[in-house]
Amino acid sequence: MPLHDVGYRPWRGERCGYGHAVGVIAGTGIRLAWTSRWLRRAVFFAWSPALLFAASFFAFEQAVDQGQLGTMQEQARAGRNLDGVGVLGAVLARSLGAPPPDGRPLDANSTRHMVWARLLLAFMRAPQAVLLAVVVGLVAPTLISRDLRAKAWLVYFTRPVGKLEYILGKMAILGVLVAAITMLPALALWALGVLVSPSVWVAVATWDLPLKIILASLTLAVPTVLMALAYSSLTAESRIASFAWFATWAACWIAHTALTTADLVAAAEVTRLSREEAAQESFFADEAFGEFATVPPARQRSAPRGFRWLSRAAGLDSEIDRWAWLSPYHALGVVQAWIFGIETRWRAVLPPLVSLLTVTAVSSLVLWRRVDAPARA
Amino acid sequence: MIPSAAALPVHLTNVVKRYGRRTVLDGVSLEVLPGITGLVGPNGAGKSTLVRAMLGLVRLAAGTVRVFGLDPQRSPRAVRQSIGVVPEDECSVPGLSGVEMVRYAAQLAGLPGIEALRRAHEVLDWCDAGQERYRPVETLSVGVRQKVAFAAAIVHDPQLVILDEPTNGLDPLERRAMLGRLTTLARDHGKTILISTHVLPDVQAICERVIVLAGGRVRLSGSIRELTLPPAPEDRLEGIGPLDDMLMSLAGRGITARRVAPAPEAAPVSPAQRGAILFDASSASSVPAVWEAARATGVVVLSLERAQRPLEDVFLEAIAQADGPAHAALSSSSGDDDAAA
Repeated sequence: MPLHDVGYRPWRGERCGYGHAVGVIAGTGIRLAWTSRWLRRAVFFAWSPALLFAASFFAFEQAVDQGQLGTMQEQARAGRNLDGVGVLGAVLARSLGAPPPDGRPLDANSTRHMVWARLLLAFMRAPQAVLLAVVVGLVAPTLISRDLRAKAWLVYFTRPVGKLEYILGKMAILGVLVAAITMLPALALWALGVLVSPSVWVAVATWDLPLKIILASLTLAVPTVLMALAYSSLTAESRIASFAWFATWAACWIAHTALTTADLVAAAEVTRLSREEAAQESFFADEAFGEFATVPPARQRSAPRGFRWLSRAAGLDSEIDRWAWLSPYHALGVVQAWIFGIETRWRAVLPPLVSLLTVTAVSSLVLWRRVDAPARA
Repeated sequence: MIPSAAALPVHLTNVVKRYGRRTVLDGVSLEVLPGITGLVGPNGAGKSTLVRAMLGLVRLAAGTVRVFGLDPQRSPRAVRQSIGVVPEDECSVPGLSGVEMVRYAAQLAGLPGIEALRRAHEVLDWCDAGQERYRPVETLSVGVRQKVAFAAAIVHDPQLVILDEPTNGLDPLERRAMLGRLTTLARDHGKTILISTHVLPDVQAICERVIVLAGGRVRLSGSIRELTLPPAPEDRLEGIGPLDDMLMSLAGRGITARRVAPAPEAAPVSPAQRGAILFDASSASSVPAVWEAARATGVVVLSLERAQRPLEDVFLEAIAQADGPAHAALSSSSGDDDAAA
C-alpha cells in the first residue's frame, strides 16, 4: 500500500462552469503538440521572415525621418545627406505604391499608413500563409483522427463535454499556433514600426492596423483550421488527413496557376493580334498622315526588379485575379487585401470571399457530424 | 426501501433504439437501484447501447431514460457530471502519462487544475497504481491501464459508476482487489454501480441485483439472492474431514445429501483440502441432524448456509426462454455436466 494512500474520499469542491473544458482541451493539446521537434522548428522558422520585414519598417522610417520621400534632386538641393538606408526606404515606398515625386511634399502620415498596411499584408500573405499551411499540416491531422483511433472520444463524451466545447477546444489548439506564427509577429512588426518612427503618435495615426492584423489573422485561421479539422475527423489515419491537407493546397495552387497562365497566354494572343491590326492601320495611316501617326505608349513605371515580388504580395496587381477563389492561398490573399483596405473592387473580393465562406460552412458541417459519429454508431 | 422514481439512479421506460432496420433495444424497462447491479447478456444483447442511452449519446426511437431524475438528452451535462464510465474499449489520449490522463479526466469533469492533480494522485494511490502512473498510457500493461481507466472514471466523485468488463485483463489478485474497491465504493460511499460483464462469478460475488439483457429485451431482473435460490430448499455445508462418512451418516438419519465441488473463493483453506455437501433443508430437523453427523464423523464445519444455484444456470435458463431450442439445449447440457461433476 502506498505511503500516501488515504483511501477513497468524496470530493465536494465547486466545479468549473461551461467553457472550462475548452481551455483544458486546448491547453493539453498545445502541450502535446509542442513535444514535436518539427513543430518547434517550424514555429521558430516562422518568425524569421519578420526580421526582413522589420528591416523594411526601419528603412521606411529612416526615409521619413530624413525627408527622403521626395526626389533625390530635391534632397540634394536642400543640402541633406543621401543616407543609404533612407534611399532604400524611399525605393521601398515607391515599390509599395507611394506616388512618384512631382515636386509637392508628400504627406508622411498617409504614406506611412499605406506603406505599413502593404508591408503587413505582404508579410501575412507571402511567407506566413505558406508557413501556416505547413504548421497546420503538422498538427491538425492528428487532432481528431488520433482520438478516433485511440477511442479517446470516449474520454470526452462520457464526461460533461459537449460537441461544441470539443470542437472549440481543438480549434483553439490550432488557433494559438496560427496566432503565434501570423498575428503575433505582425503585431510585433507594427509595434517595432512605432518604436523606430520619429514619434510615438504614429501609433495613433495607425491605430486601425492592429485591428486589421487581428481580423486578417482570424480570416486566415478560421477557414484553414476548420478545413484541416474536418479532414482529420474523416479518418482514423492521420497520415491520410495530412496527405489530403497538403494535396488540397498543392492541387488548388496548381489549378490556379494553370488557369491564370492560360488566361495570360490568351491575353497575349489577343494583344498580338490587336498589335498586328494596329500596325496595319498605322502603316496606312503613316502613308496618309505622316508625322501625325500614332506613337506607342510609354512603358509603365513598375517596381525595381528586387521588389516586384513585394509589390505583388502587397496587392498591387492591377489585374483582377479571377481564379483566386479556386485556391485557398490566393483567396485568402485577396480577402486579406480587402481587410487592409488595399483591394477595394467587389468584383475581385466577392468570389474568394464566397469561396472561403463555403469552405468554412462545409467544414463546420462535416466536423459537427463526424466528431461524435462513433458514439452514435 | 426502494427510492421514488425521480430519485432512482437509473430508470428506463419502454426504451426503443434502432440502427436502420435493426432493433437493438426493444422496449427496455428497468431500474437500477443504489448498490451494485450486474448487467449481463450475450454479445450483441444491447448492453453498450443501453449504457450510451444512459449517457445521452444515442437518440432513442421511443421511451424515456432518467438518470437521477434527469433526461440525458436534455441535460447531458448534468447527467454526465454524476456518472463515471469505464468503457470496455481501451481509450486514452496518446502522449499523456497515467497521472496526466486521470488529471485530464478530472479537469474535463470540471475540477480546477491543481485540485484535479491532487485528486488524481489520491485516487491512483487508492487504486494501487504505483510509480507506473508516470509512464505514457499507451506503454502501460493492460492491468495498469485498467486501473488508470477506473481512476479516471471515479476521480470526479460520481454518484453512478458504470463499468464495462472491469476485470478484463486482470490477474486473479488484481481482479479480487478491483472487486473489493467496487464493494467499498458501494458500501462505504453509497455509490450506485452498474457492471456490464460476461464474468458471471464476478457478478455473483459482489452484485446485489442482476439484469439479464438478451435480444434487446430485459429477460430477467431482480435480486441475485432470490434468483439463485434452488427450486427446493437446500443448505450447503463446507468442511474438512471425512465427508463421505458424513454422507453415509446423513443417509442413515434419513436426510438426502450429495457431494458437490467446494467454492473456489473460500479462503484460507484451499479447495483441495475442503469438501462440500448439499442437503435437503425442507425439514426443520435437518440442520441439527447435520451438526450431529458432523460431530459423529469428525468433520470440521467451515460454513453452513442456504445453497444457491450458480448464476450461470440462471442466466442460461433466461436466455433459453428468450431464444428457444438452441439455447435450451445448451442450458440442459450445462446442467448435465454439473451433475456429472
